[in-house]
Parts: sequence; C-alpha cells; structure tokens
Amino acid sequence: MAKGKSLRIGAGISVAIIILLIGFMGVFDVTAVSKTPVDTQSTEFRPDIVFFDNMEAFGKLEKTKAVFLHDQHTDALEKKNKDCLVCHKTENGRMSPKFMRLKDVSREELTKIYCDNCTKCHTETIAAGEKAGPVKCDDCHRERPEVQSSRVPMGFDKSLHFRHYHAQKNQCDRCHHEYDQKNQKLFYAKGKEGTCRYCHKEAPTSDGTEKVISMRLASHSACIDCHQKTAAKQMDAGPVRCAGCHDAKEQLEIEKVKSVPRLKRGQPDNVLIKTGDKKGRIPTMMRVPFSHKAHEEYNDTCRVCHLASLESCATCHPLVGSNKKVKNGREISLKTAFHKRGHQSSCIGCHESKQQDKNCAGCHASMTGNPQKESSTCLRCHMVPLPERTGELSTSRAAKMARLMPRLWKETFGPIYTVDVPKTVIIKDLVDQYEPVEYPHKKVFDTMVKQLDNSKLAQYFHYEDATLCRGCHHNTPVTGKPPRCGTCHGKPFNTDYLFRPGIMGSYHQQCIGCHQKMGIEKYTGCTSCHKERKKQS
Amino acid sequence: MSISRRKFLGWVGAAGLSTTIGKPASASTNQEFAGYPDSFAILHDTTLCVGCRSCEAACNKVNDLPQPDRPFTDLSVLETPRRTTTKTFTVVNKYDNLKKPGHPVFYKKQCNHCLEPACASACFVRAFSKTKTGAVVYDASVCVGCRYCMIACPFEIPTYEYDQALTPRIRKCTMCHPRVIEGQLPGCVEACPMEALSFGKREDMIKIARERFRKYPDRYVDHIYGEHEMGGTSWLYVSGAPFKELGMREDLGTTPAPELTAGALSSVPIIVGLWPVLLAGIYAVSKRKEKIAQTEQEQAAASALDADRFEPSQPEEES
Repeated sequence: MAKGKSLRIGAGISVAIIILLIGFMGVFDVTAVSKTPVDTQSTEFRPDIVFFDNMEAFGKLEKTKAVFLHDQHTDALEKKNKDCLVCHKTENGRMSPKFMRLKDVSREELTKIYCDNCTKCHTETIAAGEKAGPVKCDDCHRERPEVQSSRVPMGFDKSLHFRHYHAQKNQCDRCHHEYDQKNQKLFYAKGKEGTCRYCHKEAPTSDGTEKVISMRLASHSACIDCHQKTAAKQMDAGPVRCAGCHDAKEQLEIEKVKSVPRLKRGQPDNVLIKTGDKKGRIPTMMRVPFSHKAHEEYNDTCRVCHLASLESCATCHPLVGSNKKVKNGREISLKTAFHKRGHQSSCIGCHESKQQDKNCAGCHASMTGNPQKESSTCLRCHMVPLPERTGELSTSRAAKMARLMPRLWKETFGPIYTVDVPKTVIIKDLVDQYEPVEYPHKKVFDTMVKQLDNSKLAQYFHYEDATLCRGCHHNTPVTGKPPRCGTCHGKPFNTDYLFRPGIMGSYHQQCIGCHQKMGIEKYTGCTSCHKERKKQS
Repeated sequence: MSISRRKFLGWVGAAGLSTTIGKPASASTNQEFAGYPDSFAILHDTTLCVGCRSCEAACNKVNDLPQPDRPFTDLSVLETPRRTTTKTFTVVNKYDNLKKPGHPVFYKKQCNHCLEPACASACFVRAFSKTKTGAVVYDASVCVGCRYCMIACPFEIPTYEYDQALTPRIRKCTMCHPRVIEGQLPGCVEACPMEALSFGKREDMIKIARERFRKYPDRYVDHIYGEHEMGGTSWLYVSGAPFKELGMREDLGTTPAPELTAGALSSVPIIVGLWPVLLAGIYAVSKRKEKIAQTEQEQAAASALDADRFEPSQPEEES
C-alpha cells in the first residue's frame, strides 16, 4: 500500500515538472536562419538543348526528361558523312522535325521509337570502337542534367524579312499562306499576308476542323527545310544548326540591312484615327492624325502594335469596352488599347517606355508614376485641326486631312529653344562647411536641348519653350522667370508639407538623382561638387 | 517534519493549476503597447542614400566620439561591411544591387530604438528605458555590466567597453535624445544632404513612406521595415532591394521581444516559490519512507529476536 502511494506521488511530481518545462520551452523558440545550399556544380550552357518532353502530353512522366544535345549529334553525323535523314523522316519532299516519325503516335510507340533508336545507334557506334552516348536508361534520364539551356528566342525582324524577300525574288508565297477549309489545302492569298504567329501559336491550336501546328513546329519544319535545300544548291543559305538561330552570340552575326525599304502590304502612310463611331455619334475628342509610315521605321516588326492581325485597330477593339465574355482583345476598348500604360502595344505605353531612356530618365524618373496629364498634353495627339486660314480644311474630310498631316506636324514639331537662360547660378543658401556652388545653368540647359535632337518623340512632346525647363523648375508657372527653389523648399520635415523635401534635400536629390539616372558622373564624395571652405582665423 | 501527504499533494495540484489555467503572463508588459503617442521616428530611404558618410561624421561629432583612423571623407571604408562599435554608433554599409548591377545600395545601421526594447526587458537593473520621444536611453550609473542587453538585442547593436578597466559602459545610438528634447534634429538627420533620413512623428514617417510607394511603385519594395518588426521600431526603412539583401533580418516576426520572454519570466515567482516547497516535499516524503522502513525493520528485527529468545510460534490451527 505504501509503495503504491509513493508511486502516485512520484507521478504527480513528474507531471508538475513536465508542465514547468513546457512553460520554459517557449523561451527557446528561436528559429535559426536557414542557409540555402550553394550549388557548386559547374554547369555548361548550350543553345541546342532539346528536352524530350513530348511524353508529357500523355500525363505524368515516369522518368525525368531526357536531355538531348542536337548540334552535337548533327556535328557527329556530319563527320561520318551522314545527313539528317538518319534521324528524321521525309514526307512530300519535306523533312519532318519529329524524331523518326511523321505523325504523333501512342505513348508506347513513342517510348519505343526513342529508346530503341537512340540505344541502337549508340550501341553500334560503341561496337565500332567509337565514343557514343548512353545506352542505359538513367544516363539519358538524369536526375540533374549537367547542361543548362542558353537558348534565346529567334525573331524575324524587318531586316531579315527584307533579306528573305530579296532572296526569294519577291515571291511572298514561298512562306506566306492561308488555309482553305473546303479543300483542306494551304494557298497563297495576295494582300492577306501576316506574321506567322497570327495563326501558329505557342502550342498547337484547333481551328474548327483542322489542327494548326505550333509556331515551333512550323518554323522548324519550314525554315530548316528551305535552308537545307538552298544549301544543297550551293547557294547562300541560312543556318540549320540550333546555335545558328538560338545562340546569343551567333544571332549578332546575322547580317543586318541598314535601311530596309518599306514593306508593301497596302498600308497607309497616314491615318486619321477616328474617335466617334460610324453612325456619326459626336466624337468626344479631336481625331488623331497618325503617321503609320514613321512608326514603321521605329519598330522592328508589325507585331509590336498589330498584336493579332494587320487589320485596323477597330477590327478587334470596340469603341466601348464590354464586360461580356469576349476574348482576343474584343473586351478591350479602343480607348484603353491606345492609352493603356505599361503596355508596349499602346500609344502611351510605348511612348512612356521611351522616357526610361538614359537621356530622358534624368527628369522623367522623378516625375510621379501616375501623373495627372494636362489637357494640353492630350491635345498633342488629339489635334485641333489647322486653322481655317489655310483654306484647305474647309471640307474637313479625312482624306484631305491625312494629306495635310506632314505639314501639320512640321508646324507642331519642337520649338527652337531660344530661351535666354542665365549662364551660371550661384547657390549660396547652404554655405557652411563648403563654398557656394557655381551651377553651370546654361551648360546643363544646352545639353538638354541637344538631347532633343536625338529623338523625334521628345521634340514633339517638349513643345513649349518651358517644357524642358520644367524638368527642374517643376510645379512652377510656364511663363516668366521661375521662382527660386527656396520659395517652396525651406526647413526640412515641415508637418504642413509632409511630402516636400527641405532645401538641402531638394538640391541634392535633384542634382545627384539626375546625374545618377543619366549616368553622367559617378558620385565620389561631397568635394566632387563643393569646394571646401577655408576656415577664417 | 509534520507535513501531511494530503497537504503536500494539495499544494502541488494548486501550483500545477495556476501554471495551466492562470491568465497568460502579463507581468510587467502592456500587450497593446504601440509606442508612445506622438513619439518620434526616423525614416531611412535607402533609395536616396548615396553613401557619403555625412551621418557617420555628424554622429561622431555630436556624441564626442574619438576620431577614427580613416577620415569620414574616405569612402573606400564602405568596401568592407562594418558593425557598430563603442566608438561608432552608426555605420553605413554598401551592398550590391542584384536588380541593377553597378548601382549599389547603402544601408545605415544603428540602434533601431524598438517600441518595446528587448534590451530594456532583459536588463534587471533598469538601465535602459524607452522615452516618450521614442529614444531608448541608457543609464550607466546603475549598469552592473552583465551584458544581457547585448544578448537580448535582435539587431546586435549594444556594444561594451571591454577596454575600460574601471568604468565600462554599454554604448549605442541615443537617437540624439538630448538634442531632440531641446528641439534639435538628430545629428545624422541634420547632416544628411540627400534627406535620405527623415525625422518626425512616427505616424508621419509611415505616411511619407506610403506616399513614396504610391508615387513611385517601381522604385520600392512595398514594405516598411520596422513598422511591425519586433513589435515596431522607431527607425523605419524603405528600400528598392529586398531587405534580406541588405543584411537585415526578415525572420524576426512582429512580436515584441518582452512578450516572447514574458511567459517564461512570469513563471519565475512560481518557480521561486514552488521549488522549495516541492523539494522540501520530496525530501519529506523520502524521509518519511525511510523512517517507516526503518521502524518496520526495527520492529521486524525486534520480533525476530523475541522469537529466537522464546519458542518459535506455532501455526494456529484452523478451527
């Protein structure tokens, strides 16, 4: 009996101790900062890596994707005087980019095609006493591939387009085609040419009855086939190896035509962008004269603006936005399409992106991310038609207007900055440790004016005498002599103007900020601008 | 020992109950404390900082610290990361900008003046106190030199004058408390040419930070470091680079340090009170057991002796 009691007492004590210990545990609840392991394995970067991932279409992969180095195989075969047909089959005289087959097959068949053909060739090569690739499963299907892809996408820019156009002796039908649903045939439709990607998307799509092959398959079958055939005729031909198109270095070696003649696709020189609808509803804004020709020069491809087709914007974008379930741009109103910020295809988006340029960022970076546009800025595009005095606008017909545009623009293009500005400005508000600063006001101004020469866009929007000045003299009236900085910027941390920097802060933020953004001079300490003040004793 | 087993178990039960059911410790902390109203704070905008070290020079001057080996105009000092010492209350460190190579980020490090300072809660002589201006100040006259504050600080800021044999002190940024109560700006803030340091009411500093996020969304990481870290600090930071890349801890959580330790510390009185009782109880129980065992043994021995002396007892017959 006594033994049982003491056992119970012992249990009671240990329970109490455990409770106390749990209380203590909270103190030691300190989480250690975990360090991510550093990958010391050196990886090789190659542009020609093909991941055999086509099995993913059948569901989860049993093994990791096999990594295939395409150029290595091309080169090895070339050395043995063998051609691509060792691995690729041909159909109607055109080589298929698919491995040892023409059409997609079942999972089992596909596995067999890859495993059998790869290992067969490798085994034969090894038997012949030569170096060859793996014959064991896990040597192809590696957990951690030793190579990484450095592949860069290939673009078909204006220059390349012109070189092909020239080489094909203006035969557009060699590449451009439409699909005839009835006859299930490809045919060439003159005047309907567009970029490949309008139909061939990243992944294969189904267009009603027929499957449209992916851009990847389309480009690899068409481009490489033609390059090979051209090369076979002992003519100058484009690349057939992966690196030729997809290696960053080799891409730079592709010849560029300096002045590409305009593409001929029946596009207008000038367009008058309407703001009302066809029914004649009263437009809310002035119409926008747009130089299509000039914008062709600024961009590398049509696709920059014409995202889905070469038709006019209003073909897809409606005048008024819709919240109905519509797709392919039809849900985006014309107004948004033109004014959307941060989108390269919209007018404002593209124009604003140019403000990030080194020459412009000095002023524009400090301007707020969401400016309240002044109505005068809107009018730069939504132009008030030329005054009646010219007599040519009396009919106000669109066609006439378009013809007038070059003249219209000439009149509106950047003013000649002939403002009389002070040569130097002595800033002595803050004389303490350092001597007053002699600010080379005219030199800065002249540099800014000079920058305008490089950009037509900048000339166009810095249209008033004082537009440039407002980069520094912000929030001040456009006319007359601007007030001194100290008028607004005084003692720092004034709670009445919480967001306004003090005088010292504003000078330094303005000067150093601009220098940094424009990459003018690296800041090397206070004395790079200020002369040390000698102490009077 | 006249302690009954029933009484002892009663005590143990009561003690156990009080630790489990009792109100969660709120010993000396006010859990809802969000800083003194209208207390000051400093906002460090790392996107504006150019690493000129003017703040370091000013700090050195206003605190009468010894001149460093290399002058403050020597910017090559920035090449190696530094920490605060007994002779430098603030350091500016340079970090590579992973987003924009070639545009390094500068981050000024000093005491963050927590709203609920870990150093103060760790100090058992109350050498640290959070003042109404926002500064965490130190009183060397009561300090016993235990350096618990150095271990407690999550930012590794307090430093100890190991080289002082007789009067070693803890040294750290004072947020220029003496200057602030006289209506002056902290030395570093006054000296900053870029206004990368802003000084004012803590709420206003948060407003300024938020306004900058709104105006220049691309320039900043949308987070004010110090608004909630460790329950909030009187130094606030905004940055274009992730704070982790500036060597700032992002694993601290938002619970103030005193709250983390309050639970354990509040059990100190219970332990101090309970353990003597508990140990004495165990002692008494074991003593009692020994005593009983001893008397039983003695009785047994005595009866055995008796049996030897007399005739062995005959088993009783059943009737």
